[in-house]
Amino acid sequence: MTGNDRASEKPIPSPDADSAQLWRGLRDGVLLLQHCDKCRHVQYYQQGMCRQCGAEDIRHRPACGRGKVHSFSVVHRAPGPAFKDDVPYAVLLVDLEEGPRIISTFTGGPPEDVTFDLNVTLVVEISGDGTALPRFRRS
Amino acid sequence: MSETTLRGKVAVIGIGISPVGKVPGRSPLWLAADASKKALADAGLEKSVVDGVLSCHAFASPFHRFSVALSEYFGIQPTFSNTLQVSGATAATMFNIGAAAIQGGLAKVILLTAGDSLMTGLTPEMALRSMTESRDQQYEMPYGIPVANTFAMTAHRHMREFGTTAEQLAEVAVVSRRHASRTPGAQQTAPITIDDVLNSGWVTTPYHKLDCSLISDGGAAFILTSAEHAKELGIVNPIYILGGGECYTHEHIFLMPSLTSTGAVMSSRNAYAMAGYGPKDMHIAGIYDCFTGTVIMMLEDLGFCPKGEGGRFVADGHMTYGGQIPSNTHGGLLSFAHPGMPGSLFHFYEVIAQLRGQCGDRQVAGAQLGLVHSLGAGYATNATTVLGTENVL
Repeated sequence: MTGNDRASEKPIPSPDADSAQLWRGLRDGVLLLQHCDKCRHVQYYQQGMCRQCGAEDIRHRPACGRGKVHSFSVVHRAPGPAFKDDVPYAVLLVDLEEGPRIISTFTGGPPEDVTFDLNVTLVVEISGDGTALPRFRRS
Repeated sequence: MSETTLRGKVAVIGIGISPVGKVPGRSPLWLAADASKKALADAGLEKSVVDGVLSCHAFASPFHRFSVALSEYFGIQPTFSNTLQVSGATAATMFNIGAAAIQGGLAKVILLTAGDSLMTGLTPEMALRSMTESRDQQYEMPYGIPVANTFAMTAHRHMREFGTTAEQLAEVAVVSRRHASRTPGAQQTAPITIDDVLNSGWVTTPYHKLDCSLISDGGAAFILTSAEHAKELGIVNPIYILGGGECYTHEHIFLMPSLTSTGAVMSSRNAYAMAGYGPKDMHIAGIYDCFTGTVIMMLEDLGFCPKGEGGRFVADGHMTYGGQIPSNTHGGLLSFAHPGMPGSLFHFYEVIAQLRGQCGDRQVAGAQLGLVHSLGAGYATNATTVLGTENVL
């Protein structure tokens, strides 16, 4: 693949040993969070062990999909040609009801709709290349 | 904290800087080597005495081991070397690690240098990589998240929590430009107003174009040696490393413990403790200013003003001459130059030159104690170095 091809296409996430289940779950339309059986810690970023206590007794459970916008920024200058047609778009930091914070983008409305503490709902969007990404719309 | 200390054991005895801004036809290695020649000349030393080299990655260079490639380019064969990588915080870590290596006997005379050509040396592929490379390919990159965006979300939250205004952010850019106008060789010197910043177009909210740092070519270099060896060499005005501290709070922005309080609190606390001085004792500061809001948050986290008051502190004139802590008196990344990794080394160059009393009409009168804070990757990495003259040892 030449540089130009890569620049004009959106990055496709390559799952690794820690994250394979997350991406499988998203293809099925659910956002899987890791719940630690030992210390009850809940994490979005997928790991082979609990970030808090190190235990490996981790269970995947679908997120309820409800969250609140902690902060956001509307991108007007795209990071590369692949995102040029998408601007302006709002990047969100969403606090999920289960506890973890997730980075994502706003969907289902103009970026001006986004405010601090806005209640948002998970939407798993599948793009043309088959990548399923968790995004959020106004609740 | 450890009882072992770097305090006063190691001195900076030479400083050098390449041309900065748009420097076409010059590679990152040339920019670093040019600055290195000048730093050695400043110290009055030949390159043959250098036995240690510390450097960092350059985007416009194909070398993974930049410090090793630089040694070959410069015609030396050091017995201590490393290419460090903690993003923007690397500059201060180079000083801290360099000082520790000298004190620990790994090297006697260390050349600390970086060079990059982000303005004229990047192929389109390299440019794209430089914009997104440090973001996670699974969790961040698929959404189109530029590096600026992570800093923007922290600044936005700061505005929300503390009422920091767009005008206060803009004031940082205005002050930096005024400082740069007195610095020979600075990339941007034309005066700007708060309105100019607010009307410069959005990059990623709340940041406008002029809230963002420059893209530049350039290099810087420093010579470090032990305090004893500096004396043996008869160095006239050695500048001592008094304290160093670092802190790494997260890798991903969504795992940052707080968007408005950073690892700079801990890195500076440790650096101050080692130095035996506090923020009120500092006469000058070099503060990593990749964006305007970064300076406001750092003025708080480095202890120059209470949390939440950084915006007012800047608007009241405290980051410039006559204020509490003249900062980035060379113009910083916002107006002097920002060639990536070497960017924060320019803060060191300025603070050391100020402590030596060599800054002419931009000299901060009586500067004896200074601090440089480097950070990177959406505040993932933070490193602080406290420097001082012989009088404050």
